[in-house]
Parts: sequence; C-alpha cells; structure tokens
Amino acid sequence: MTEKTIELTDLRRLWDTYSEKRIGVIGLVIMLVFIVMAVFAPYIAPHDPYELYNPMEPPGPDHLLGTNDIGQDILSELIYGARVSLFIAFFVSIVSGLIGTILGLLSGYYEHVGFFIMRIVDAFLAIPRLPLIILIAAFMRPSIWNLVIIFTILGWPITTRIIRSEVLSLRTRNYVEAARMLGAPDSYIMIKHILPNVFPLLVVRLVVEASHVILAESSLSFLGLGDPTAKSWGMILHYAFMYPTIYISDVWKWWMLPPGLCIVLTILSLMFIGYALEELVNPRLRGMTQV
Amino acid sequence: MHQITKIAGYVTIILAVISFNFFLPRFMPGDPLSFLTGAPGMDMPIVLDEATRAKLLAYYGLDKPLLQQFADYMIKLMHGDLGWSTYYNAPVSSILAGRLKWTLLLIGTSTLLYIALGIVLGAISAWNRGGKSDVGLLLLLLSVGSFPPFFLGMLLIILFGVKLNLFPVFGAQSPFMAYSSPVEEAMDILHHLILPATTLVITHIGGVYLLMRNSMLNVIGEDYILTARAKGLAEWYILRKHAMKNALLPITTMIALRVGFMISGTILVETVFAYPGVGMLLFDAVMYRDYPLLQGAFLIITLVIIAANFVADMVYLRLDPRLRHD
Amino acid sequence: MTLLKLKRLRTCFPTRDGLVKAVNTVDLEIGANEILGLIGETGCGKSILGMSIMRLLQPSTRIEGEIIYKGQDLLKLSEAEMRKIRGKEIAMILQNPATALNPVLTVGDQIAEAIWLHQTMTKREAREKAIEVLRSVKIPSPEKMANECPHKFSGGMKERAMIAIGLACNPALIIADEPTRGLDASTKEQIIKLMKEVTEEKSMLFITHDLDAAAEICDTVAVMYAGELVECAKTGDLFGKPLHPYTMGLLDSLPCRGLKPIRGMSPSLIDYPSGCRFHPRCDYASAICEKKHPEMVKVEDRHYVRCFMYL
Ligand SMILES: Nc1ncnc2c1ncn2[C@@H]1O[C@H](COP(=O)(O)OP(=O)(O)O)[C@@H](O)[C@H]1O
Ligand SMILES: [Mg+2]
Repeated sequence: MTEKTIELTDLRRLWDTYSEKRIGVIGLVIMLVFIVMAVFAPYIAPHDPYELYNPMEPPGPDHLLGTNDIGQDILSELIYGARVSLFIAFFVSIVSGLIGTILGLLSGYYEHVGFFIMRIVDAFLAIPRLPLIILIAAFMRPSIWNLVIIFTILGWPITTRIIRSEVLSLRTRNYVEAARMLGAPDSYIMIKHILPNVFPLLVVRLVVEASHVILAESSLSFLGLGDPTAKSWGMILHYAFMYPTIYISDVWKWWMLPPGLCIVLTILSLMFIGYALEELVNPRLRGMTQV
Repeated sequence: MHQITKIAGYVTIILAVISFNFFLPRFMPGDPLSFLTGAPGMDMPIVLDEATRAKLLAYYGLDKPLLQQFADYMIKLMHGDLGWSTYYNAPVSSILAGRLKWTLLLIGTSTLLYIALGIVLGAISAWNRGGKSDVGLLLLLLSVGSFPPFFLGMLLIILFGVKLNLFPVFGAQSPFMAYSSPVEEAMDILHHLILPATTLVITHIGGVYLLMRNSMLNVIGEDYILTARAKGLAEWYILRKHAMKNALLPITTMIALRVGFMISGTILVETVFAYPGVGMLLFDAVMYRDYPLLQGAFLIITLVIIAANFVADMVYLRLDPRLRHD
Repeated sequence: MTLLKLKRLRTCFPTRDGLVKAVNTVDLEIGANEILGLIGETGCGKSILGMSIMRLLQPSTRIEGEIIYKGQDLLKLSEAEMRKIRGKEIAMILQNPATALNPVLTVGDQIAEAIWLHQTMTKREAREKAIEVLRSVKIPSPEKMANECPHKFSGGMKERAMIAIGLACNPALIIADEPTRGLDASTKEQIIKLMKEVTEEKSMLFITHDLDAAAEICDTVAVMYAGELVECAKTGDLFGKPLHPYTMGLLDSLPCRGLKPIRGMSPSLIDYPSGCRFHPRCDYASAICEKKHPEMVKVEDRHYVRCFMYL
C-alpha cells in the first residue's frame, strides 16, 4: 500500500516538473486530440471514407471539406488518416525501441558483442533512409505491415547507440560495480540497476522516433508507395498533388492544406513533448529556458 | 589506426550496399523477373518490347549461377554499367549522369546555407540562453522544422509561385529558352533554384540549430571559457575564438550524418518542384516501375552520401588536435 | 600600501534549495608586494571569493560589499571597464589546468591573445612576447611548445602554461587558485619556486588547501571556514601560534603532526549552524558559542581571530 502511494507522489512530482514547460503541455493536448480522432474515427467521421459521392465538390454542409477527384469525403479521409499515421508511428517506435534497448544493453555491457553490434549500427546509419525505404517498398507489395517492418528495421540502430552510450557510463557507477562485486548475475544487474536508469532516455527516444516514422510514412505515401487500401494523410496529399490544377484553382485550400496541417501538428506535438521530456530527463538542461 | 578502422568500415558498408542492391530483386518472393515482365499480381503491369526485354534479361543474367551473376554484376559496375532503363529506353548510367549535376547543385547550395545558418543561430541562442532571442528562435525553428518538405514545397509554390508570381514553380531552367549570355543562364538557374533550396533549408535548419545549441550550452559551462573571460576578452571574441570550434567538434559527424539524411528531403522537394535531379528520377522510376533505373539511382545516391560521410569523418580527424596523430 | 581591500564582501547564489552564501562578510587587505594565502577545506568558498573579485560569476549571483582596487570599487565599474582590469591589472590563474586551457587552441595563441588585447602591438610581436613569457615560466623549448595544443603538455607543464597566461600582461595582482593541486611532490616544489620567483614584484592571493605550500610562499595567511574568515596572521605567527580551534585542527591534520582529521563535516552554506559556525566540531565549544556569532578580534599586532576564547 505504502509503495503505491510513493509511486503516485513520484508521478505527481514528475508531472509538476513536466507541466512547468508550457510547450510540453501544448504538445500533449494536440496529441490527445489526434488520438481521440484515431480511436473514435468511425463515430466522428461524417461519411465512410471509401464511399463515392460527386467528385470535386467544394466544401458545403454535406461535405465540410468537399470531396476528392473520385468523390470521397475529404474530412472523413482525414479522420481515418489519423489511425494509419498514429498506429504505424506508435507501433514502430515501441517495437524498434524494444529491439534497440535490448541490443543497446547487450552491446554496452559486453564489450565484444558491443563492438560487433556497433559496426552494424554504423553501417545502418551511413545509408540514407528514404532511398532505401523507397527501394524496398517498390519491390515489396505496399501494405501497412510491410511498412511497419521496414520502418522497424531502420529504426533500431539509433536507439541502440543512444542506450549503449548510457549503459557504458552507468556501468562504472558505484552501485553497479558493487552489485557486480557481490556476484549478482549480469541479467539481474541489467534489469534491476541499468534498465531503470536508461528508461527516461528511452522514453524521449520513442517520442522522437515516432515523429520520424510519421514523416517517413507520409513521405512514402506522398510518393505513391503507401498502402493503397489504407487512408493516410500522405496518401491524400499524393492524390492532391497528382491532380493537374491543384495550385491554380481553390481546391488546395480544402484538399491539400488540411492533411498537410495534420502532419505538421502531429510532428510538432511530438517535438514539443520530446523537448519537454528531454529537459525533464537531462537535469543539465533544466531551467535553461522557460518555454 | 583510427583512419584504418574507419576506411575498413566504409569499404564494408559500400560492399553491403552493392550486395543488397544485387540480391534485392533476386530474392523477392515469386519469379525473380515477375516485377519486370508484369506478372499477375502486380499493380501496374508493364509491357516491354522484345528488344528491351532481351537487354534486361542479358543484364540480369538470370540463367547463370548466382555467384557468376554476382561477379558479372560487379564487373559491370566497375565499368559504370548500371543496366537499361525501361522507361527512358536508354542506359541508366547516362540518364543518371545528366541528372546528377542538378541534385548536386540543389544539395550543395542548401546544405551550405542551412548548416551555416543553423550553426550561427544555435550559437546565438545558446549564448543568450533563456533570453527572448533564445526562446523565439527555439520555438520558430522547432515549428518550421515539423513541416514535411513536400508540404512546405507545395505551400511555397502556391504563395510565391502562383499568388505572388515571383518564382518559377517547376524545372531547373526555363524551357525552350535561348540564353543570350552565360550570366542570363546563371540567373535563370538561380531563379529556379530559390524555392526548392529554401524549402530544404527551412526543413533542415532546426536539426543543426538544436545540435549546435546543446553543444554550445555544454561549452559555455567549461572552465576554459572562464579562463578566457579572466583574460579580459570580449564576449563576442570568446564566442568566436574559444567556444565555436569546441562546440562544433563533437557535432561535425552528426551534422555530416544529417547531410546524408537530407537526400530524403531532396527526393521529395525535387518531386514537388519537378526539379530534374536524381531524386525526381527516383520518383519517376517508382511511378513507371522502372526497376533498373530505381536501383541505379539508389546506388548512386547512397554512394555519394557515403563518400560525403567519409570526407566528413576525415575532416573531423584533422580538426580535433586530440585525435591527430603525428 | 594597500593594493586590494575587500570590505564586507558577500557572495550568494540563489538556488532552488535556498540561498547559498558562499562568501559571507569577508574583510581582507592585500598590500603591495604582499603574498596572502587563503586556506580552508574544499567547498568553504575560496574559489568563489577569487571569482567575485574578478566578477567572473554568472549574472544571477548576488555580490555585496566593496572591492577596492587602487582606490576604486570594482563592483561599481561597468562590464567594459571591468574587462580592462581583468588580465591587465588583476589576473586569475583558475584551478584545474587540465580543463582551464582551451583544448583546441595552441598555448602560444592563448597567451598572445591576452597580450594583443591589452597592449598596443602587432600580432607578431604579441606572439614573440608570448614565447618570452613561456620561457620565463621555464617551459623547455618555448618556440616549439608555443605551437602545441594543451594535450601535449604534462600536468606540471599545463600549470606553468596557466601561470604564463596570468603573467602575460604583467598584472599588479595575481589570484592563483590551487596551483599545486594534483601535482606530485617534486613538480609541486618546482611550481612553488616558480611562483615565488615571478611574484617578486607583485602581489598575490594564493588560494590553497595545501598548508605546506602556504607556509612556504606566503607573507600572510587567512583561514576561511564556511564562507567567512576565522583567523588571519603573518605566516610565522599563524603556523607557530595558531589561535582558532579550526586552525589548530587544520594543522593537526597535517602528516607531520599526526594526521588527525577534524571531526564532523563542513556545514551547508545554505543553513549555517547558529552562533559560531565551527562550534559543532569544536573541542573547546562552550555555551556562548552556540548562541552568539563571534566577531573578528585583534589579539596581537596583525593577528586577528574570530573566537570567544580571545574576547
Ligand atoms: N553557481 C553556484 N550555485 C550554487 N552554489 C555554488 C555555485 N558555485 C559554487 N557554489 C558553492 O559554493 C561553495 C564554495 O565553492 P568554492 O569556492 O568552489 O569552494 P573551494 O573553497 O573548494 O574553492 C561550494 O559549497 C559550492 O557548492
Ligand atoms: Mg576551489
């Protein structure tokens, strides 16, 4: 019972420090709106996003953001789009974060394994991401799961590197050395002493990776390599971009602007959250800026 | 010692990329050439005439054993043979050669600009930490940094190209233009360069800025900055002479890595502005399912970036006196 | 002739946990050609005192009192005027030369820039002057070493380079912060000898927690405890006839006197103990020590102490 209360006050204190940063709170609020949009899409969306109505309708009472070139309701597409973007972003960042953490722990703890893993990490980091994703996506059938796999494969190396360098510095701390001297098994030390200490860093990393994945997914969809059966913001922009008179008529205002702004706001909210978390985690930065 | 491990690392990476490029089409599920011939199940079947088909088959050499294929592939690469483009019906290498200069021009100008601006703004921000200019810059650059390049490009086209009609919205040069002088040609090229380059600069400046700001915040707390103050040196002099280089050293490689990532933005920006570089070629190759072109473009882009990283690494080794070996 | 006079100097840092009173109401005088030692345990505020004189602390720091140098109050000078004092009039040799030298600039440049800034001469001349200064601090082959970055210097050489930076513009006062810390015995000996030599016609505030070094080089010694001075006397008097229990304790903790450490820990600079700040650790403490804060009293000619035993 007492342990529970301590945890709660700890959380309370963390939240107090976090909410000192206004942009962190703003980021959370924006993210929450998008999460609600994604989870309750079927209830919020006025239409089925795949249903065909009159093409190229301007905004009106029936279609608040008009319809696209084949007659789908743009507002509904937009609401369902939140699902794809957020699902891929969270799924990939968590899975690649998990892989990265395990490899980071191992490579920070065992020198030889570390050397080997870091060479692979270096290789991954030297290869530009989007061209590689485009190449793989062009050969594979585009589907959400294929995208998830590609992004995960490309996402773990940075996490591994960050976790490893943290483990390297933690390893020399007194309590870790003491535990090792007392003959505690490596797995115990890693889980009990090191993992809790890299956790804050990992959370920041997950948020940053999520924003990278959203950017990568929308870029790929924009290039026409997304899952054609799943509505995503990048895909809406792809069709808008391919529409011949997108710039000269007023169509862009309701077809191009909304999905673009959705991407911007999602990435922005993740960046704000990441920034606030980083100051929370890294005491050296704390109190430097009062945003 | 340092150099040798680095060089060995780069050679391995290059070999890995080349092998990956070789094996990817061959290890795809199903018939290795189904993607070329438009077998059932493809979204967009491609119809090839007999001559092109024969050229393709000869290039891939699928009837030979795998090892032989790999050896042939490597030999062809050495000779600059990247295969035959199905869409342009021309050698991939010659198409790439014509496009590379535009990409290099676009990347070169925007890279110089955003790195220089990011470094200067990051340093200013850190030096005035907590002040108005710091907070303002931080918010501004975080915000503009969250615009995907393709979206920002489209917005700039609408604002500066269509509404204000200040800049051309596509291409690298005006079509069918007979230039009266090289200066006129250069001005035309510059005119076309401004919007795409601006897009790239805006979307990439935030990363460098944040790196520099954090690095500079670390440097400001160092003892040698205090020593410099104790000598009576002026603030701007300390910033320029004592802090800049120390703040830049630990982030050089990270900035160089970012230049590598920048190619992603370039692909998107070239596509949006129909800028005839390698990035737009990649988009075309995807659109027309021109796989040899896609692979050739991928290989060139990757090699150029790895080369850039290599140069950055070597420069770094020379910059830091602690790593320099006599 | 007084060169520098501190009047009721107080330096405080506002922090989340409270006000850190690192230097609390210090009165001190350094005469021309005098070498004043400032000794005390780590964390008692010695470095902060030195940095306060140079006004090198972050802007949020509160400094009160007066710092009279050659008749003018340094605390009243503008930042630009203060820059003309730093390096030229008063030089500070910061503690820990391993981090106090810029790792990416050559040692020659780090000396020459100060000379070039404060004296009218070309960069070339400043450079030659820098080599001269390096020679005066006995760096071997100074022409060559001037072109090297600090990582080529050993610990003792780095300290010499720091001293050279301090000497560059021939200041009237040098504040040396623990110049012998972390050096082995023979290097320490050399550095002390060097400092004695170069300050022959200068004044120096010699901050140290190394009592032997202080005994060897100083004319006068001041003892600091928890932000304030507790004793001040001529070197011979202080080491021969220490009056304050803390000074006695410090001397007893020397290896040659039996290595007897003072019991307890130095107090927090946020909440001091009431009364005499040393009383919880003092063997002679009586009831009054807990209640009243003692003032500095003059016991003999130029021997001051802050203790109720001498009131
Ligand atoms: N910027 C600061 N903010 C708060 N406290 C500080 C700051 N700088 C120094 N202190 C505190 O002031 C005290 C005196 O430090 P210092 O003068 O460096 O000690 P020393 O006598 O070892 O040189 C220390 O206890 C230190 O914790
Ligand atoms: Mg000190």
